[in-house]
Amino acid sequence: MNIATGQLRIRPLTELDISRVVAIDERLTGIYRPEVWERRVGYYIRRDADACPVAEVDGKLVGFMFSDVRGGEFGLEETSGWIERFGVDPDYQGRSIGRRLFEAVVRHMKERDATVLRTIVDQKDEDLGAFLRAVGFRSSPLTALEMPMDGAATPAERS
Amino acid sequence: MNVEQTTLPRKYHDAVLHWQRHHFPDYDLLPQYWEKYFPNEPDFCLCAKMELKMTDTIEVGDRKGERRMTEPSEMGEDAAGHLLAIIRAQASTEFGSIQQHEATLARAQEDEDRFWVLRVMAEELRHGYQMFHLLVSRDWSSVSSQKAEEMIEEILSMETGSHVLDAFNLDYDSFVDNVVFAAVIDRVGKYQLSMQRVCSYKPFAQSMPPMLREEAFHLAAGVIPLRRWAQRAGQGNELVTMAAIQKSFRKWMPRGLEMFGHEKGGDSNVRFGFKNMKNAEAQSLYYDECRKMIADLNQRYVRARLPKLSPEEAETLAARLLADGGRTEGISRQDLLELPDRRFFRRKGESAWTMIGIRGESFSTVDSYLEHLKDNLPEPYLASRDMSRYVETLRQVAAGTVTPEQASKKMPSLKRVGGVCPCSKSVRWIVEEPERPPAERGSAGAASRS
Repeated sequence: MNIATGQLRIRPLTELDISRVVAIDERLTGIYRPEVWERRVGYYIRRDADACPVAEVDGKLVGFMFSDVRGGEFGLEETSGWIERFGVDPDYQGRSIGRRLFEAVVRHMKERDATVLRTIVDQKDEDLGAFLRAVGFRSSPLTALEMPMDGAATPAERS
Repeated sequence: MNVEQTTLPRKYHDAVLHWQRHHFPDYDLLPQYWEKYFPNEPDFCLCAKMELKMTDTIEVGDRKGERRMTEPSEMGEDAAGHLLAIIRAQASTEFGSIQQHEATLARAQEDEDRFWVLRVMAEELRHGYQMFHLLVSRDWSSVSSQKAEEMIEEILSMETGSHVLDAFNLDYDSFVDNVVFAAVIDRVGKYQLSMQRVCSYKPFAQSMPPMLREEAFHLAAGVIPLRRWAQRAGQGNELVTMAAIQKSFRKWMPRGLEMFGHEKGGDSNVRFGFKNMKNAEAQSLYYDECRKMIADLNQRYVRARLPKLSPEEAETLAARLLADGGRTEGISRQDLLELPDRRFFRRKGESAWTMIGIRGESFSTVDSYLEHLKDNLPEPYLASRDMSRYVETLRQVAAGTVTPEQASKKMPSLKRVGGVCPCSKSVRWIVEEPERPPAERGSAGAASRS
């Protein structure tokens, strides 16, 4: 697929993608945190690299979507695909790269016999929420709850 | 997952466990600590895994478009003999790497690194088990006078020094070798498994996807600790130095390049439909991937030294320092990792015995080349039996008493074949047991799907 200026390729995550994933995350969040991504990429590669597609344009990694297949958590017995991490380089946003990554995840989840896809989104992240609704996600009857162990305010309460 | 899991007939399964008790005693730690280091991940299974959703059509070679073969006798004698050699070599590498890892496993500074490598070793054991499944589940008598049992005995009897490929005949000098081996040599494994996914012999092709999924983690078990070491080195609190990593790379890279076979070879593999690339093409892709790995590690190091730099600036700086040999903000080429020239320290292939240095420079005398090797290889490795044999042979080549081709055939030297089981005076790993009633046989030979 030709994407504006270059050739788009979707492929599974590898250990050599860590540097670019760190760089994209740094551009999106302003935080350099290689240790976090080394740990997470190690985890996802062990679990199922095919469930974690990355997007390359002309050989440069410009987006990633990390997902995982699980069953039995939170009383949800059916096999579920969970989308957990997602990022597209700001220079490449608006070119349907997120959608292509999502389609790759869906294809893989069908092969793994997942019956539903789930994710959790920060309510303040309207762009991400809009993207997920655009690709087919709907509101879930499940609600995410949290309780700080030290009695302090939650991140949501602090903001 | 569309994977069928199978266990070997009991005598072979027990032979593998017998071998494990002698060569891989730390295996028993893995289930004890699995939940700590790999929480919520499926338990390790010592079994053969066959991918079920594979196309039945041959993808490359002379028989492209025909139906994939399922019996050795369908392949023809040449092709079946060739594939049998590949399977035996593959099995040898799996068991060989465990023997290498085990010697220095306990020296890991971090428990997490140790348990990652331990998992790698267990999965290599499974891969060897997978190859045994291919040997014993079909009749290879049309191309081998050895019975399956004899082939397995032979493989289980190999030790570091007597394996089929050179990379598996070198001892590790420290835990740095465990990690660099995973990053460099397992990467060759990834290429071989990827190429063999197309194999015209279906059971072999079916074996590849599950092995590849596991191999992806083996590479991570090399690269991620390397990244952390590079960061610590950049922060000045290193115990594992960039120089130590560099020297280990120079020890393993030449052996990795040779694992692809001679640069002019590989035609038969493609013609028989066993692989989709010839040796030189695959080796070039591998070399380029190693270049990327080293650039990533250098970027990690430079950003630890100069946090103000962006990822792109750090990578550009590292590339410039490597190219011009200069110095910027206290960082020089000597601080960074450098991919050795692909002709460096080679014993096989086009560049065998050519005395080429790490940056492509030529040496005209053995002594000057040995000085170069002394400066650039790990010191403990210089004192090894492998180096001693290499130097002896290099002198013979330089003196014209043996040809480069003859010298290449001398490596590795099969010095340690023996395979006496240390727990008895027997030389057998496989022990025939009296046939037991079916109810006592447990799961051996059973198949299940996951």
